[in-house]
Amino acid sequence: MAQHNLGTVISFEFVRTVTKLRFWIGTLSVPVIMAVVFGMIFLSNTSTSSAAEAQKNAQFSISYLDASGLITPADAAAFGAVPAASSDAGIQDVRSGAVEAYFEFPAHPEATAVKAYGADRGLFENGKYAAVAQAMLARAVAVRIGSPQLSGLAAGSVQVETVTYQGSEVAGGMNSVIPPMAFLVVFYGLVVLLAGQMLNSTLEEKENRVTEMILTTLKPTTLITGKVLALFMVGLVQVAVFASPILIGGLFYRDALSIPAFEFSQLVFDPLRITVGFLILVGGFALFTTTLVAIGAVMPTAKEAGNFMGVMIALIFIPFYSVSLVISEPHSLIVQVFTYFPFSAPVTALLRNAFGSLGVLEAAVVIAILYVGAALMLRVAVRLFQYGSISYTRKVSIRTALKAGSRHAVAGPAEK
Amino acid sequence: MDEPVVHISGFRMDFADTTVIRDLSFDVRAGETFGFLGSNGSGKTTTIRALLGLYEPTAGVLHINGRPFKPEHGSRLGYLPEERGLYKKEKVMDVMTYFGRLKGMDRHSARQWSLAYLDRVDLAGKAAIQVDKLSSGEQQKVQLGVTIMNRPELLILDEPTKGFDPVNRRLLMDIIAEQKNDGATVVMVTHQMEEVERLCDRIILLKDGTSEAYGTIDEVQNKYGGRVVRIRHAGPIPPSPHYEVTLEETNYAELSITDDTDEAAILRELMDAGMVIRSFTTTKISMEDIFIRVYGEHNGSPAPAPGRVAATRGA
Repeated sequence: MAQHNLGTVISFEFVRTVTKLRFWIGTLSVPVIMAVVFGMIFLSNTSTSSAAEAQKNAQFSISYLDASGLITPADAAAFGAVPAASSDAGIQDVRSGAVEAYFEFPAHPEATAVKAYGADRGLFENGKYAAVAQAMLARAVAVRIGSPQLSGLAAGSVQVETVTYQGSEVAGGMNSVIPPMAFLVVFYGLVVLLAGQMLNSTLEEKENRVTEMILTTLKPTTLITGKVLALFMVGLVQVAVFASPILIGGLFYRDALSIPAFEFSQLVFDPLRITVGFLILVGGFALFTTTLVAIGAVMPTAKEAGNFMGVMIALIFIPFYSVSLVISEPHSLIVQVFTYFPFSAPVTALLRNAFGSLGVLEAAVVIAILYVGAALMLRVAVRLFQYGSISYTRKVSIRTALKAGSRHAVAGPAEK
Repeated sequence: MDEPVVHISGFRMDFADTTVIRDLSFDVRAGETFGFLGSNGSGKTTTIRALLGLYEPTAGVLHINGRPFKPEHGSRLGYLPEERGLYKKEKVMDVMTYFGRLKGMDRHSARQWSLAYLDRVDLAGKAAIQVDKLSSGEQQKVQLGVTIMNRPELLILDEPTKGFDPVNRRLLMDIIAEQKNDGATVVMVTHQMEEVERLCDRIILLKDGTSEAYGTIDEVQNKYGGRVVRIRHAGPIPPSPHYEVTLEETNYAELSITDDTDEAAILRELMDAGMVIRSFTTTKISMEDIFIRVYGEHNGSPAPAPGRVAATRGA
């Protein structure tokens, strides 16, 4: 019967959430905004690259002076540039409109800036002057080197692939950080998106006066466990919806969106880190959910409960204040405190797990803390809900509610 | 004798420094309709909540079917709490199906039963409506439907007619009577004395945290004076050791018979004293009169003297 009721609660809570229009408005607004941003990036990239290309190849009247001696008349002629009589004359020609641009190449262009003077064509189009000046100099240097290969190398366009070893095995490097880091992203997504729902999940019974009917129909543990699991499922749906534009963009529009070249096949899935990441994610989510549910059970209204949501959200961001320490000095005191304090443990441990600095023993301790903490908070939440939620209009004293099991009543005479 | 469905013994309930229930004991037998009466704040709802495990009693034994109530025991309970409420943002059918499933029905049966019930209470067209779009009376009907889903063996109704108009009150009373006829044990907390007289087999009156009266309606009526004589008359009413005048107006009086003297002897005594009797009727003391007598003083309003009855002419 308990299992049947658990399934019924999960199904009811999940279905009624995902069939609400407001859920989809809220959920879809994020990918829609992301799609709009991606679209703008796409359009912007297209126009930027074509504009840059156009600027590089722009044809306009140019005069120049070259103190470096690198630019030959032939190089200049390729751009339609003619020598100026002097610096002042070149600038005067631009001012009078005799030429559109005047470039002044210094004796040491590797150390001193090239100066470009041009007729103002607007902030964006003015970029063509710098682009053409650079192109003139690059062409002159390439001709001087005499080899496209050497020219490329001299420009520093060299790719380096690093291979490191852990013992005799090739280490995963950044490719081994990404998969376990995904658990951190999912954790943030779940908690940030669902904190409000977690807090309100039992408040709804209280505000709607359904508590007594519910508590005489099924065990409070079944109700709260069902709600937590339903929330987890709702969170996964939201995370999937949010991730969809990124996946679609990454798979089909990578170049257009300027997403760095990345081979999924190169990702390294370390079974231990993946397992630890998953367990911390579930334990951390359970701890935060049960805590928020417990808070909701003692608050009379959603408004009053909302004050506590900010505190819980802050707790998952606090470890980021010391993120550099978490990565570089994982055994420092502050990182150790964050690792084992239950409410900062999920974020800190997931970060350390992703970067490979969370040992097996440490992981085991953190996981134990999270699961024991979640189990305790579940008991507290159940107790508070059971004995606190029929105090419909009052904030329940936590101490009194927890004492209820030891033969002390919770509600005051006003509610007799 | 069969084990009582509800057994409460030595129940005490303290809230901090306040004692709401001092010492309460009673049983509810299988198949009976039991009235649980008391003034506002007398501890009726507290007793029900403690019986259902919503409050931890300070002391005492509160059993349903021989053990403390726990929902996981699977006993078929229908509970209509005083504080009413449903999932307001959900559709009527979804809410009913949910509770039906929690009470052990499969989805199909729960839906079929809900449709039939909604049809009966004139809400057939509102199955797909959000609960908070219904009027308060309609919500009450839905809540009653949720309460009686899956043929409860024990129905506990805390002020069931609260918020109903007379027509729907009658409908609700009919539904409760049907449940009783189907074998349900009904415990009813109410202030509606006509409901008590119409439906209840036995009652308990709760006062000052303990039982003021407990038994069948007849037993309780007898305890509070039993028979009442109503007369329309001319001439003064003579004093008598067999009755007390509980109400006297111009040409109308009510006499509470205080011993075993039969009504005919009372009539003879009045006529022998020279009174002209135009009408003479006998009746039992009403539950409403008993209620007023018991709780009138308690609530600060003037109460009839012991043995006197506040009469209602039409009764």
